Order: sequence, then structure tokens, then C-alpha cells
Amino acid sequence: MSSKTKQRISRILLYILIVVMAIWMLFPFYWAVNSSFKSEQQLAMMPTTFVPRAPATQDISFYLRNYEAVLTNQAFLRAIVNSAIVAVSVTALALAVGAFAGFALGKLRYRGKTGTLYVILAMTMFPQIAVLSGLYAVINRFQISAISSLVLTYLLFSLPFTAWVLTSFFRELPTEIFQSAQVDGASPFQTFYMIMLPLTAPALVTTGLLAFIGAWNEYLFALTFTSVQPDARTLPVVIANFPSQFSQQIPFGEIMAAGVLSSLPLILLVFIFQRRIVAGLTAGAVKG
Amino acid sequence: MAKGAAGGSDLARQEQRLAYVLLAPTFLILLAIAIYPLLSVFYYSFTNETFASATPTESVGLSNYQNLLSMTIRTVPPKIDETTGQPQVDPDTGETKYQSAVAVLPREPLRFKQLTQFNLFGTQYVLGASDPDFIRSIWDTILFAVVTVFLELVLGMVVALIVNANFKGRGLMRALILVPWAVPTAVSSQMWAYMLQPNRTGFFNTFLWRIGLGGGEIPFLSDPAWQLPSMILIDVWKTTPFMALLLLAGIQLIPGDIYEAANVDGAGAMRKFFQLTLPLLRGTIAVALVFRTLDALRVFDLFQIVLGQARYSMASFTYYQLIQNRAMGYSSASSVIIFIVLSAFAIIYMRSLGVQSNEQ
Repeated sequence: MSSKTKQRISRILLYILIVVMAIWMLFPFYWAVNSSFKSEQQLAMMPTTFVPRAPATQDISFYLRNYEAVLTNQAFLRAIVNSAIVAVSVTALALAVGAFAGFALGKLRYRGKTGTLYVILAMTMFPQIAVLSGLYAVINRFQISAISSLVLTYLLFSLPFTAWVLTSFFRELPTEIFQSAQVDGASPFQTFYMIMLPLTAPALVTTGLLAFIGAWNEYLFALTFTSVQPDARTLPVVIANFPSQFSQQIPFGEIMAAGVLSSLPLILLVFIFQRRIVAGLTAGAVKG
Repeated sequence: MAKGAAGGSDLARQEQRLAYVLLAPTFLILLAIAIYPLLSVFYYSFTNETFASATPTESVGLSNYQNLLSMTIRTVPPKIDETTGQPQVDPDTGETKYQSAVAVLPREPLRFKQLTQFNLFGTQYVLGASDPDFIRSIWDTILFAVVTVFLELVLGMVVALIVNANFKGRGLMRALILVPWAVPTAVSSQMWAYMLQPNRTGFFNTFLWRIGLGGGEIPFLSDPAWQLPSMILIDVWKTTPFMALLLLAGIQLIPGDIYEAANVDGAGAMRKFFQLTLPLLRGTIAVALVFRTLDALRVFDLFQIVLGQARYSMASFTYYQLIQNRAMGYSSASSVIIFIVLSAFAIIYMRSLGVQSNEQ
């Protein structure tokens, strides 16, 4: 076999692998979209169909009532607002506080630095489940509203993450900039605020995106802390415990429609900011 | 360097003070939402605190832990045929009949329930636990974590190598593999739960039935034998992209001229992978493994949404104790156990990662 045919074969194999991989990654989401366009009758068809078909004629027929039902479902609409409020607040808070810490950890010299780095890294892995009952008790005792308690407690994972990722970004900025600003008479805080922070704007976007996605998708705290306050439920909680409007059975069609709608913003973000997200994810985990 | 500078000029002292001021908010917040609740969880774990209950809270020492973790092994005697004095044998299967396990398991001071039975050298044993649900959740969670992380590593490596290759649409592909990662777990759990329906309304049963496997009625989510494999399948789909990205980052750090040298030597693709890529990725793999193991050990969303109370992970067990049973003390004790298990793994992670502050 000549090396050229060999190359061609490995090329073909690569493309087969790519196609298999793409199907594997996307198929469940495709199936959700497919099911979201099916009526209850169509969902009950055996065997199931790869596109929505009418049970009697097997003609392709899309059913739109699921989306209609979801978009007029008060619980779902409120959940979108709740999720947005919580995720945006957490992201803003985590960035504001985490950028300070990241700058100190990444660029400043002080006693006890290694210890603080260890604490932040350990906190990025802190298991939420370990403090669930403790936080629940505090929230009950002080009667903190569900939304505020979510914003507050989500800092448990988003703040250490933000600080850690920003640390690695700050560290990469050339120290000369920092030093020459100091020589020019700028105080360290001025240097941070006027020179370093603008330079890390791209890193802030990356980190903010990841913090936002993390908060948008969080389930354990949301489920626990909104258990007595259904008004405050966020999207994951509503989707996991979907209130049925019309049917007695689990309303899978509506759940799929709601799931597709609440994943779309994230998928959009992923496609727009793919490079940044990857950079942020790997900065958090790989760079020491 | 840091120590010398800190003692030196005004500027250095100013810098040090600024560092502490900038770090203070982060540490204060973490103290309030992590350290304080953690300490209170430790405290509650030694009490019988129950929400909305009339019984006064009192210290119960280690009894929550005892209840969660106590296990025992007893032999199960065979049923004796009264006429012959010999062990009874099932006429259909030829297997010995054994007495009920309940009879041999202790009831005082703790009541033990059967976890599993097994046969060793012709003797039947029963493994009992005072809280079989919790012991099973530990076992299931660890098994789940080990298998998912292993599969994710293998598949993640394949994906990483693919998206590292040169081909048209590579950028699109790299965005595409982020889709499973970005879809909220609540949504993906529901998507998969629907695909795994126990009849041919579900995708998997239809698919397997079409290719001649199974009667189209495999109860993926209600049959205990299928539950864990289903959970593993869903988690592998969801988390392989993350693993692939970590590995890809590691692959991209390998200098290209190493491969050029190998090309000159005429090494094949396989040999290049096993003798160059894999050894050079050892650090990345170690980090990714422990990082993902920690994540998998605290799995909650998937188990709670898909299996509910049919089968627990350690985290969903803790959640149900707290919310369903209002058993604050008991749930706290199980939290502490999870925390200890995870800390052990976290320490390994920190060791393998090696934190460096390049200023010191």
C-alpha cells in the first residue's frame, strides 16, 4: 500500500470518527427537540418515531402546543426570571470580590501567600452537600428569602472558582507593567484599578460566563432552599419537578420543550464564546 | 523574596497591606458560607436535631454515625427437613433452602437489615447493616465514580485526539462538544429519562428492539440491575467533553518538534501515542482523574432527578434525610462522612497538582 492511499484511508477513518462523535454528542438534544414537537398521542407511539408523525397516517406532523403551554406556564416563566436574577447577581458579586482576591493572589507579594492559594484551591472543590444542613439551618433561623439565600450560597462555588481562574490570568500579565506604574508613583490599588483590571477584561468575560453557567445550572441548593417557597424556584428545579397543566401523566412533551428553551441560551453562549470558555475551564483546572 | 521585600521598603509594606485588604472580602464570605456551616454540620451530627419536631434536641454522641455505618456478617443456617434431619433442597433448582436472614441478624441495640447475601465455600452468609440504604449509597456512588471516570478518560482521550487533528470544521466541532457540558443537568437528566422509558416509546428500547436485542421492554430505570449502568451512561455523555477539554489543553502543551523527531524515526501513529503522548500527558491525566473523581463522588442531580428514592447516591441520601425526614442530625452525620471521603481525595489532588506561588 502506498503512503498516499494509507493517508487517504486514515483521513476517511478520521471523518467517520468525527461523524460518530457528533451524533453521539448531539443526539440526546435532537431527541429532546423531536419529542418537544410531539403531542401526548405521538409520544405514546410504539415504536417511537425519529420525527414527529401522525399516529394514523404516519405523516410528519409537528405539534406546537407544548411550547404554547410552556410559554404560558406561570411557574416556568417565573423560573426564567428567578434564574436570571440569581445567575446575574451571583456572577456580578463573584467577579467583583473574586477579582480583588485574584489580583492579590496573582500579582502581589505578601506573607502567607502559599497558604491562601491552598485555601482557595481547596475551596474550589468544596462539596456543597457537606454544608447543606448547616446552611439550611442558618437560612431558616434568619428567615432569609429564598432568592437572596441562593445568591449568597452560590458564592460557595462561584467565588473560589472566579478567584482561582482570575489568579492564573493575573499571573500571566507582565510584572513590568505593574512595577513601572509603581515607579511612576501610582499606588498599588491605582495600578490594580486603572491598569491591571482593564487588561484582564477578556479574562473577566470568560470567568463571568463560567460563573453564570454554573449558577444557571445549579440544582441542589435551589431545590433545597426553595422547598417551602415555590415562587422562588429556578429553571432546573421547575424542569426536574415539572408541574403539569393538562395531563395526569408526566408531561414529557412539555418538559422537553421547557428543557430545550432553557438550554438554548447556554448553547448560544457556547457557540459564541467557545474559545473563551475552553480557556477558562482549563485555566481553572490545569494551570497550578 | 516575599519575606525580604515585606520587611523592606514602604512600598512593599503598602503592597502587603493591600493584599490583605483585597483578600479579606473573599475570606470573610467563605468563612460565613463554608466554614461556619461546616462547623455547625459537625456539631449537629452529634445531636438528634429534627426540624419541626416536639422532641427536645439533645446530644446523642456518636450514635448517628453508628447507625449509618454499622455492619455485620452472619451465617445463615439452612432449613432443616424435620423428617430426615437434612438441609432442605429445592426440587427444581437443586439449591439448598436457607432460613430467613431476619432471624439471624441482631435487633439489639441496633436493628440490622439485610444488605446482601452471598455464598462462600458452601456456607450462606448475610451482610447486614443498620442503614442498608446508606451503605448501598456509598458502594453505588464509589462504583459509579470509578466506572464513569474511567470511561470518560478513555472516551475523552479519543475526543481530544480527534479535535486536536487538522480538519475542516474543527472550530465548529470544538464548540459542538461543549453542548452536553452546557445543557443543565436537570434538563439532560429528563432528556435521558425519556430516552430510557421502559417500553418502545423510549428511544433505547426502540433502537435495541430494531436491531433484535431485547423485547423492547427493558426497564432501564426501575430494574436495579440496569439502574447504575443507565446512570453511568448519562454521566459519561454529559462529562466526557469536560474531560476531553482538559486533555486537549494538555496535548496542546506538548511541543511539536518531539513528534517531528518521531516522524523522522518512522514511528507509527499508535507508537507515537503510547510512547510520546501518553507519558507526556501523565500530569494532566492525574489531575483530570482526581478532579473528576471528586465531582463524581458528590453526584446529586442525576440520581435525585432520574431515580429519586428508588436508589440513592451519597448526596441524594443526605438530601432526602434532611428534606423528607427532617432529620437534621442524621443528615449532618452523613454529610460529615461524605466530607471526609472527599477530603481524602482532595488531598491527593492537591499533592498531584502541586500549588506553586511563583512569587515565593
